[in-house]
Amino acid sequence: MELLLFRHNKPGRCTTFYEYRAEGGFAALRKGLAEYSPDQVQQLVIDSGLRGRGGAGFPTGKKWSFVPRDLPGPRWLICNCDEMEPGTYKDRVLLEANPYALVEGMILAAYALGVRHAFVFIRRGYETAATNLRRAIDEARQAGLLGDNILGSGFSCHIDLHVSAGRYICGEETALMNALEGRRANPRSKPPFPAIKGLWGGPTVVNNVETLANVPAIVLNGPAWFKGLAAIPEAAGTKLFCISGHVRNSACFELPMGITFGKIIDNHCGGMRPGSRFKACIPGGASTPYFTADHFNVPMDFDSVARAGSRLGTGGIVVFDESVCMVAVTLNLVRFYARESCGWCTPCREGLPFVVEILTRIEQGNGTADDIELLREHVRLLNHAFCALAPGAMGPVEGLLRLFEDEIREHILHKGCPFAGAPHYTGGADGK
Amino acid sequence: MPKLTIDTIPVEVPAGTTVLEAARKVGIVIPHFCYHPALGSVGACRVCAVKLLDGPVKGLQMSCMLPAQDGMVVSTTDEEAQAMRRHVIEWLMLNHPHDCPVCDEGGECLLQDFTVAGGHGIRRYQGRKRTHSNQFLGPHIEHEMNRCIQCYRCARFYQEVAGGSDFGVMGSASRVYFGRFRDGELESPFSGNLVDICPTGVFTDKTARFRARYWDYEMAPSVCPHCSLGCNTVPAARYREMLKVMARRNDAVNGWFICDQGRFGNGAVNDPARPRAPHIGGEEASWDDALDRLLFRIGELYDLYGAGCLAVVGSPRLPLEGAVLLPRLAELLGARFLSYFVTTEESTRHTTAVSLLKGDTVASQSDVRNSDCIAIVDCDLMEEGPMLALAVRQAWRQGAPLFLVGKHAPLAQAQAIGVEAVQVDIPEEVPFGIFDRPVIICGARHSTPATIARIMKSGTTPICLLSGPNACGAALLARQHGAVPLAEAIASGQVKGVIGIEADIPAELLEGVPLVAAMDWRPTSLTEKADIILPTTAWVEMDGTFVNAEGRAQRFRRVMQPGLPIRGQGPALHPPRAHRMLPPGNSIRPAWQVIAALLERLGDEPVSEPLGDEWERLRSLDPEGEGICLFTEKEPR
Ligand SMILES: Cc1cc2nc3c(=O)[nH]c(=O)nc-3n(C[C@H](O)[C@H](O)[C@H](O)COP(=O)(O)O)c2cc1C
Ligand code: SF4
Ligand code: SF4
Ligand code: SF4
Ligand code: FES
Repeated sequence: MELLLFRHNKPGRCTTFYEYRAEGGFAALRKGLAEYSPDQVQQLVIDSGLRGRGGAGFPTGKKWSFVPRDLPGPRWLICNCDEMEPGTYKDRVLLEANPYALVEGMILAAYALGVRHAFVFIRRGYETAATNLRRAIDEARQAGLLGDNILGSGFSCHIDLHVSAGRYICGEETALMNALEGRRANPRSKPPFPAIKGLWGGPTVVNNVETLANVPAIVLNGPAWFKGLAAIPEAAGTKLFCISGHVRNSACFELPMGITFGKIIDNHCGGMRPGSRFKACIPGGASTPYFTADHFNVPMDFDSVARAGSRLGTGGIVVFDESVCMVAVTLNLVRFYARESCGWCTPCREGLPFVVEILTRIEQGNGTADDIELLREHVRLLNHAFCALAPGAMGPVEGLLRLFEDEIREHILHKGCPFAGAPHYTGGADGK
Repeated sequence: MPKLTIDTIPVEVPAGTTVLEAARKVGIVIPHFCYHPALGSVGACRVCAVKLLDGPVKGLQMSCMLPAQDGMVVSTTDEEAQAMRRHVIEWLMLNHPHDCPVCDEGGECLLQDFTVAGGHGIRRYQGRKRTHSNQFLGPHIEHEMNRCIQCYRCARFYQEVAGGSDFGVMGSASRVYFGRFRDGELESPFSGNLVDICPTGVFTDKTARFRARYWDYEMAPSVCPHCSLGCNTVPAARYREMLKVMARRNDAVNGWFICDQGRFGNGAVNDPARPRAPHIGGEEASWDDALDRLLFRIGELYDLYGAGCLAVVGSPRLPLEGAVLLPRLAELLGARFLSYFVTTEESTRHTTAVSLLKGDTVASQSDVRNSDCIAIVDCDLMEEGPMLALAVRQAWRQGAPLFLVGKHAPLAQAQAIGVEAVQVDIPEEVPFGIFDRPVIICGARHSTPATIARIMKSGTTPICLLSGPNACGAALLARQHGAVPLAEAIASGQVKGVIGIEADIPAELLEGVPLVAAMDWRPTSLTEKADIILPTTAWVEMDGTFVNAEGRAQRFRRVMQPGLPIRGQGPALHPPRAHRMLPPGNSIRPAWQVIAALLERLGDEPVSEPLGDEWERLRSLDPEGEGICLFTEKEPR
């Protein structure tokens, strides 16, 4: 299978600038600047069918096309490397192995968008990735690939690395912009959308690390080639899947978009650990509803996973075997979201601790049948929160109610958790 | 103009109006916490949910965030919308301490209203409540964070509207905390508005703590007496004691807010040392005796020193009703001198400013808020008109530059509202020409008459701050009746008697004046010296009119019955042992009525309505309206 993102990876260490260049790196940048107009670069990305890898799968070229061409004043590009969703670590792996594809992709994106100043917003804990990126930015600048008048093309672009102060909500694009401006990381209301009015009021595009790292190969090899990488004709490109949990081999793989879920587990993860049987998984990061063994044949691309009742999200897969209590898993996840709520809107700030309290109650054997309906109401109403954090937090709860209602009822009926040895949560209801 | 339907009522509103505001227009109040007309919509509380049944947008929506559009069919009663609103209340109640019985907000609390209205009564959350510790925020504002519903109104007001930086929101998730980094007095001169703007009982007026419930208050529309801006207020009183002052909305004047001076600086009303009964030579006397005695003493004085050796002295704080009667009083008493101001300087500055007030060329607070360039010339707004600084900040937030001109325009006033200012030496350095709606501000305290005249005639919309709530009225009357400044009159050596009517006259000036009489509600150096004291009512104890610095006449209503407050009465007076219909200390009268009583004694018909002649049109002044601008033909804004 042909690799795109991991093509330049070296076992156990980070690719060097010289290796990347020698292996054809930055050829896309040369080609893009020399042969294509900004609009043509954008068109290539549109035609490639590239969709955002930050979780929502929004078509990248389309997002770029929303930026008004004729507005005076600066416009901005932000690479989102906050990656704090539990179960997701693909951007870290990508940057720890090779930061150059991202730098090259960002320059091309900046070229397409007319951006002269781009930012990378990186999670605080990603120290190795940040070091790599800082080095890559310096090297590119010294080689004349970044900065003023890049490769004599007349196009100038700068990249700044900003290390986040560290909250999950900083990954939400509008909260990210507030954080970058030095404000509290509360999301902004949309509309206006960032493409029209974003960072410091200017048109802004926010893209995920993996999204941008795909751009050079698309420019170099063309949309048709990119589409051909996928396992099914409806999808395009490859996808980083980062797997954790009770599988034999948990790692981050670059695989064709649309590969079936079962193949990922069986062929790439080497199946379940000895003595373990698959029970369920989080298919695409902590905010996506569960998959069960019934979902092994689902192709892992945005549309197919959505049709199967979940979301491809970030491709962060967390696998649970049969010893795991799904109520406890859900409680653990919601507790994370309750803690990471930015505190701006009521449904999330107060509703999530309430859900934590209800799940704690059930897990500890104090639940009643009414609690199931109460959970359902929360799943329904938290959709009306201010941003996508609270609806995302309800993903696992929705999955729990839809796929594991029996397991909840068992907790209620037997006044306790039926999974001996499973992790038990006895802490305070509000997660503090 | 979008046309939409809300609960079957057709509504047409200007483009940009939100569904929440559109509903309000037809009398439907959609619950809201984070929305406030002065702060706008931010979509944080999520309690304003409505269901869009048809039209360009469908489904459950937050009405405060949704611009009204043609063809929308909105239901506020839809089951899903109600469920959302019920849940928001339930969520807010998870941690709320339910301490309404000991909360000063009880009875005037938005949270209480909407909780009761939404029918939330049964607790389903079984966890422990989150608790916070409170902060000491100074002598005026009580802090009780457990009652917070995280609507962010306070932080938005304090930082965005008032430009304060020592208060805001800290923490995240369910631990967000609204306070200061450390305990300490709030620095903003507008901090008291937190009390009004907080929809629940986190910020309450410490000076009125535990004194009364909303339904106990005596309240009336009133006007602030502390400076010449005439901000609109609602004072609240109980048991003849003024408890607190709240801001009253007037879009042309103060908008929604008032300054801390206007809110917390009113202790004098309850001062136990206030003159409560007429006094002659230090002894309590009846009104008849005191008035007769005054006239008798004046007769004696004339016999001794020659007729007319008397000055009748009003002031910038005397309400218009009293001020307009003074010329007649001087005439009937045969007094040679009528004064409204003490010093020559003060007098010329005021008369100059007022003589040049005309047409629609004077800036209101609202004009300042909407201006695109502001110059403050030799004036400290924090002293002469704090709310004008808040207006300046609103313009600055929209991009208007602020220029501080001259050495009496301190930078501190800009810092107090978090505004950057350019300092220049003379007004000519300000590039007014490149702006559409510039305003220029000066003040009678530091600007010379020449400067005032130059500014008022400069062609840039001016406002000159004056020295009291009715200084404009006083200056108009002074011009009209050829009043002389008291200091000049005394310097002539012809003044042997002074009647001060709510006038602040320095004691030195009266040295050697044989007869001093004072009408006042405040204990002053004049009442201390006066042979005859005729006690008057404070503005909250009477109906009256003030004319503010722009020439806007505004009516205030009586808030409370005058009388000795129960609080502070010694055992001799409380519990009352004498049986009577009226409370002790109740016999004080508005200054104009005292003057009218004198006029009657001097042979005039009884005065039932002091505003006559050209003032007559002010009789019908609506205390809840925007006021009447005396100098403009156009409709008041
Ligand atoms: C609560 C929350 C957290 C998010 N965190 C991240 C993140 O860590 N990294 C990321 O790329 N996108 C994150 N997103 C999605 C971004 O808002 C945004 O959609 C994305 O960066 C767009 O990039 P893409 O179009 O390339 O996917 C988050 C969204 C939400 C609501
Ligand atoms: S849903 Fe509301 S509280 Fe939660 S993160 Fe988004 S804006 Fe903040
Ligand atoms: S303190 Fe009051 S105004 Fe501030 S957020 Fe809390 S409830 Fe709202
Ligand atoms: S600005 Fe003046 S009139 Fe307004 S509240 Fe303050 S003191 Fe009173
Ligand atoms: S009033 Fe609409 S969300 Fe608060």
